Amino acid sequence: MSLLNALSRLSLQSSPVATRFLHISPVLCAEPLKKKKKLDPQVVKQREDRRKKKIEKQIRRLEKNARQLKPVEELEVPLDLIDNKAKRERKLTPLGTAELEQRALLKKEWARYKHDEKVADFQIIDRLVQSQNKALEELRRESEELYQAAIEVDMKLLPVSVKGPVATPPIKNYVSPDGDYVHQAMKWE
Amino acid sequence: MLRRLTQISVQQLVRKKSTAACSSKDKWDLFAGVLVERLPVVSKTLNPLEQQFQAMLSHVEYEKSLKSDFELKNERDLVQTELIKQGKMQVDLDDTVAKQTAQDLKDAYTEELKKFQLAPRTTADDANNKATSTDRCLEDILYLVVKQKLGSQQHLVLPQGQREQGESMRQTAERVLREQCGNEIQVVFYGNAPVGFHKYKYPIKERTQSVGAKVFFYRASLRSGNVVVKRSETSGTYEWLPKEALNQKLNTAYAESINKFLI
Repeated sequence: MSLLNALSRLSLQSSPVATRFLHISPVLCAEPLKKKKKLDPQVVKQREDRRKKKIEKQIRRLEKNARQLKPVEELEVPLDLIDNKAKRERKLTPLGTAELEQRALLKKEWARYKHDEKVADFQIIDRLVQSQNKALEELRRESEELYQAAIEVDMKLLPVSVKGPVATPPIKNYVSPDGDYVHQAMKWE
Repeated sequence: MLRRLTQISVQQLVRKKSTAACSSKDKWDLFAGVLVERLPVVSKTLNPLEQQFQAMLSHVEYEKSLKSDFELKNERDLVQTELIKQGKMQVDLDDTVAKQTAQDLKDAYTEELKKFQLAPRTTADDANNKATSTDRCLEDILYLVVKQKLGSQQHLVLPQGQREQGESMRQTAERVLREQCGNEIQVVFYGNAPVGFHKYKYPIKERTQSVGAKVFFYRASLRSGNVVVKRSETSGTYEWLPKEALNQKLNTAYAESINKFLI
């Protein structure tokens, strides 16, 4: 009995010892605040002023350049060409009346020819549209579902690239000779 | 105006109903056909009137033009040689050797141009009349026709095939082209809508399930490649034909339907 008591007393005594030696560090969810730097209000004002001036300067520069258009060099006739235009004119004998008459007739014939060509083109377009309408009508007769699928817009067609007919076909395996390249790109501010 | 519109719409409604009644009677097989065209590579040869007009235009342009630097230089050179001939100007020997006159330059340029050979507008396949090649008749549009077994006989038609369940007509057309002509041929289909229509009836003995076939044609333009013929199939011949030759080779009723949407 006395032994038991002694043991219990020992255990009672040992528990504060254990807590004294086992430490649990507290969790810190925040950092102590840094001391705020106090700025001189004069300095702050100066900085702001400087930023404002910079922006204003940029705006001014942009406005100034907005009125200055980039010149298209090709549109301006070089001065030396204007100066010696008289030297460059061809001295041809004026056309006779027969020649003028022939040209006028040719122009009239050409107008008729182009008109006929255009009419023929319109007829072809009409024919194609008619043919397509007929096909769509027939398709609708068979099935409304197929018709709806057929009149959907095909977005894959765009962008379309077409190579037009040329005067002579391309030469196969043609290696184009290297020329001299003069790079002339003016800078416009 | 409103009355007119309602009239038209009523007419259309009536028409639709009547056609629905008609289609319920006899069943037609749906086919998709593909019109593959090789667009012209070179421009058309000018006819006499066009040539005349072109000549006139170029002459007018010459009349209105001013002399170029090169022409001025040529004139200056001519004057100088004249002066030298007359002995009014002294010839500096070293200078003349180094100096090239405008005429010399012109001769050199024309010589260089002569060396350059433009590709001819007609090809070897034109001369051999090789109808399976797309590299011929460069001025015209070429259309692809294939020999197909329809019923018991072989016919020369635009590639066509029957629609399967669940396909749209455009999908059928794409599948048909792949089946008939192989994977090498690259084309661009012009939209989802058919451009033409043709129908024909089967012989009376074979009208068990459906009366005939309705073919919906799709337009496609050739980008590259050519038809690859499967050797196992007997019906493997194909031709690229311009419009005139096409009309001669096709069945008349078929050609009439096709012609409606050829350019």
